[in-house]
Order: sequence, then structure tokens, then C-alpha cells
Amino acid sequence: MTTHSRTTTYFRQPPDRGPGSGLFHPALFYRSDQEYLDGVCRFLRVAVHGRGDRALVAVPGRRLEPLRALFERGEDGAERGRPDGTGHDVRERVTWVDMEEAGRNPGRVLSLFREFADRHETSESRPVIVGEPLWVGRGPAETREALRHQALVNLAFAGRRVSVLCPYDAALSEDVLTQARRIHPVVTEGGTRRISRDYADPLDVCASFDTPLPEPADPFVIDFGEHELALARGTAEDWASRCGLSPARRTDWLLAIGEATGNSVRHGGGQGTLRMWRSGNSLVAEIRDGGRLTDPLVGRRRPDPRSPHGGRGVWIMHQLCDLVEMRNEPGALVLRLHMTVD
Amino acid sequence: MAMTSTSAVLAPTAPEPCGHVSVVYSDDREWAGRLVPFVRAGLERGEQVQYFADTTDPDRVMGTLASAGVDAGRAAAEGRLVVTTAARTYLSGPAFDPDAMMGLWHQAMDTALAEGHRGLRAIGEVAWGARDVPGADRLLEYELRLHHEVFEPLPLTAWCFYDRRRMPADRLAVLVGAHLNHLGGPVADPPLRLAPLPGRTGLRLMGSAGYDTRYAMRSAAAVVSRSPGGDVELDLSGLRHLDVSSLAVLAEAARHRDRGGLRLLRPPEPLRRLLGLFPELGAALEIAGP
Repeated sequence: MTTHSRTTTYFRQPPDRGPGSGLFHPALFYRSDQEYLDGVCRFLRVAVHGRGDRALVAVPGRRLEPLRALFERGEDGAERGRPDGTGHDVRERVTWVDMEEAGRNPGRVLSLFREFADRHETSESRPVIVGEPLWVGRGPAETREALRHQALVNLAFAGRRVSVLCPYDAALSEDVLTQARRIHPVVTEGGTRRISRDYADPLDVCASFDTPLPEPADPFVIDFGEHELALARGTAEDWASRCGLSPARRTDWLLAIGEATGNSVRHGGGQGTLRMWRSGNSLVAEIRDGGRLTDPLVGRRRPDPRSPHGGRGVWIMHQLCDLVEMRNEPGALVLRLHMTVD
Repeated sequence: MAMTSTSAVLAPTAPEPCGHVSVVYSDDREWAGRLVPFVRAGLERGEQVQYFADTTDPDRVMGTLASAGVDAGRAAAEGRLVVTTAARTYLSGPAFDPDAMMGLWHQAMDTALAEGHRGLRAIGEVAWGARDVPGADRLLEYELRLHHEVFEPLPLTAWCFYDRRRMPADRLAVLVGAHLNHLGGPVADPPLRLAPLPGRTGLRLMGSAGYDTRYAMRSAAAVVSRSPGGDVELDLSGLRHLDVSSLAVLAEAARHRDRGGLRLLRPPEPLRRLLGLFPELGAALEIAGP
């Protein structure tokens, strides 16, 4: 697109940034539903109809049906659900996921992608993923964490035979689109694929999302060491109950806080501070300790539950909470767990 | 912390309870007040009485009994009273071994009856459980298994003497909680309390399990993996919360049972939620109840 030519260049040398080598991680900037459907379906057809690869499509719920309908018809408009020449039903090769549900917390999306890729990547097969965790109307914190997820795709799948197409609504803010150009080595706009000149180191991109967290007005505060962990759990449960959190969500809330406070004692210097407050329609628990997050991918791969190593607690927090924010501050690690009050 | 409330279950029971009893005391006077009637009653009934001292000098045990009017010297000479130490007996091996202890209790009972005594009663000081004694980390497993493996099949009464001065309050609370009968002042509820299930191989878990209760949970897991017999049951109806680590420890123990499985009765919602996230942890578990 001419409006973006300042920051992009034409895509001439695909080998190092295209499918066939390592990770292929293009962005698709779309301006209309048609552009969206065409761009995503073309990507899927090449992989699934063409090469027989497996695909995971994780996009907002309202996008699923039109995409599926178009994809299953094939390029010529004919029904293509049935055997496609290789004896396989293409419909069985695509997994459709509502990103508004699966990616309600953007921090859990990468785990989903990795599980899919791990299952289907072989020397002959390149799994493809369509991932759209950003949409117009997402809050600023969720948007930041969704962009962080996008940047971490580059780290998580570095050198892997995986393709991840990320559609971006061109109506998203210019800030978001600017970050998308830093995150994706390749950007498709107006049907043209270009190498992004703004592509940046994923760790630098992630660092730009580590913005200061807003200070709550009147939080409930508990300091804890090992001997106060049970009290902290009990207090967190009672407090959430008083705030109207449903029993099912309270279970999730308590599991997440139990893992976080336990981690503080185990890994974060033996003690921490739990603060809880209400923010709009969400309850927020902040766990601050003396730890430091050194691996940005921690908790973003489904762990072996029998192993105490490998981010088991953080993964659980991501699965159970609606948003997880983590910040390294001088001498402290801060986690914020958000739970929507339904 | 939650160590200030008093559990109704742990409240003092009537004097002279039978079976496996925890006795908590805070000073020497209270100690003597428990010791003397217990020994006197045993001797009067024709039972053999054994005292396994740890921090108390055996001579002081004998002296205390004598000064209270118990003819301890004669009883000892006739084999009706045995006052010895844990170090000279069951702690004389390389490490405290609950598996071996179960057999020793059965042997002691058989020997007492064979020698013409009408029964056996014992007191064991367990202050060593708070010291760096090899195998001391298995004391809770031992206390939990005793009820079903020793006290249900044998007409035996044993009082476990817990000296508040010699054991941290949190450890004392968990160990005392492993007894169905208690004498002495009230003991605080531990965050996670484990108790034997009467009439069955298994445990009741009550409270909230997390990183802070990992030692207790490892003991529960040891009971699961080492208890002889068929299925083991864990009644979880009193468990409000547990973390993934606790569940993983139990699941692993279930996997290592030679015979029989692990049945979880009325597990709490957090456990079901964790099994939803990690179905593989449920492979060796049977879930029963709503």
C-alpha cells in the first residue's frame, strides 16, 4: 500500500522469510471483509488443499463461519469438502477455534499454537496457523498482551517449520499497526506481500509493552511468607466472594492466586505482597515478590504436570485468568491476574 | 495465620481414651500428670507397660512413678514395666522406618501376651520428630498409618507424648491432627489436616493445600503408596483447595501402588478443575461422589 510504502519494501527474496525455510510469520492487513476472506483462504488453500498440511484457524467467532464456508468451497466455488485428490477430507485437516474465547487471555494463545504445531510438524508437513488475537474494541491492556503474544511467536517458533498468518483489521489504531510491522517480518497489504523494514528483535518489541501498571486506588493488602500462604488463600477466596465472583470463577481465582503466592515463596525470595482490588468489571490480584522473570516464554507452553519445573504455575494462571500481566521492576517481579465478574 | 482457631475434632477427649492417642503437655508437671495414671492403670489391669523416652532421662520416669506411689522398681524387675529410650530401640537403625515399625508393634503385642500379660500399653516421646533424625520426615506417615495397620487390629493403647517445648507449633499441629483421640490443651488447626479414616485404608484431608503444606501432602502420598492391602481412599469433602503440586504428588503415589487404586471421595472443585487442565493426572485416580 502506498500509504505504508515508507516503512515497507517489496518482497523479492522469499527464501529466508517465506514458507520452506523456518518460521513463516506474515501479517495480513485487511480493509474489508472480502480482503480478509480472500487473504486468509488463499493462505489456507495453498497449505491444506495444495500441500495437505494441517491448519489451526483461531479468529474471532463471527469470522469463523464465513471463512469455513469459503474455504470448504475451494477456489472454483465448487464444494471441496470431500476427497481432494489425495484421499483426505480437507475439512478434517482444519481446526476452527473462536479466538474471543480461546484468546480471551492473550497469554494462553501461544500454548494453544505450540501444542498444535508440536503435534503436526514433521519433516514433510508444515502446520499452518491463522491467529487473530487483536480486534477493534479490545482494551488497551489486552491489546498490549495480544501484541506481546504476536512478538513471542517469533521466539517460540524460531527455526521451526511452521507458518503463522496474523490478520490485522486496518481499522485498528495506527499504534497497533506500527507494532505489527515491528513484529512481522512480512506484511501483506492490499494483496501485496512485502518485507517489513520495521521488523525488530522480538525481545525489544516485548520490552516496549512493559509499560508501568496503573496504581489502584484502595487495594486490599496482605503481606505473606510461607506461614501466611493459607491465610492469603483464604482471604483471597473470601474477598472474591464478597465481590460477587461466581463459585466457578472463584475456583479459578483461588487456583491462580495459590500458584502465584506459592511461587513467590518458592522462587521470589520467600515472601510477597498480595493486593486485590476491583477495576471496572474485573477483580485484579497483584502478587509482588523479589523474583525476576528471565524467560519471556515462561508459562506459554503446556507443561508436564508431573514436573515442578517449566512454568507450571504461570501456565495455570494464563489458562484460568482473563488477563495476566507480568512486569520486572527494580528488585521485584509483579504479576497481575484479572478475572471478569460475570 | 490460621493457627489460632481450635478444632472441635482436636479438643480434649475424655480421660483414658483407648487406641492411638496424642498427648500434648507444656511442662514437667503436666507430663507427670499424664504419665502416672496411665502406668498405674495399666499395671492394675495386668497389662505390660512400655515407655520409650526421648528427651526425658529414663531414671526420671522411674523416679516420678515411684514418688507417686507406683512400685515401678518391682514392676520393672518383673517385666511388667519397661522404660527404655527410642535411641536404644526403634531409632537404633540407620533411619526411622514406618514399614518396620508396623511389624514391631505386632511382635510386641504377641510377646506381651505370650509372657502372660493381659495386654500392652505404651508411651512414646516423639520430640525426635522435630530434630534432624534420619527418617524423621516419615513421622507423620507413621502416625497416619498406625490407626489402620496397628490399632484397629490390636487391643493396644499407645499414647504419643508431644512436648510443646520441643516442637514448633505448626509441626505439632499437623502431627497431633493425625490422631483420632487427643489429650492435653487445645492444638491449633493446621492449614492442612490429615487424619486416618476409621475402618478403612485411607485418610481424610481437611483445609487448604498449597506450597506451605507440601510436607504434609508428601506424607499423605506416602500413605497412599505404602499402605498394604487393596484400594486406598482419600475423603476430600473437607478439602477446600489444593494446588497442582499437591495433586501431582497424589497422582504419582497412586501410580506407584502395587495393588489396588486410589479412590478420591467428594473431591473439591479445584481438584476437578485441575484434572480438566491435566487429564493425565487422573489416569490412576478413581473419583467418587458429587
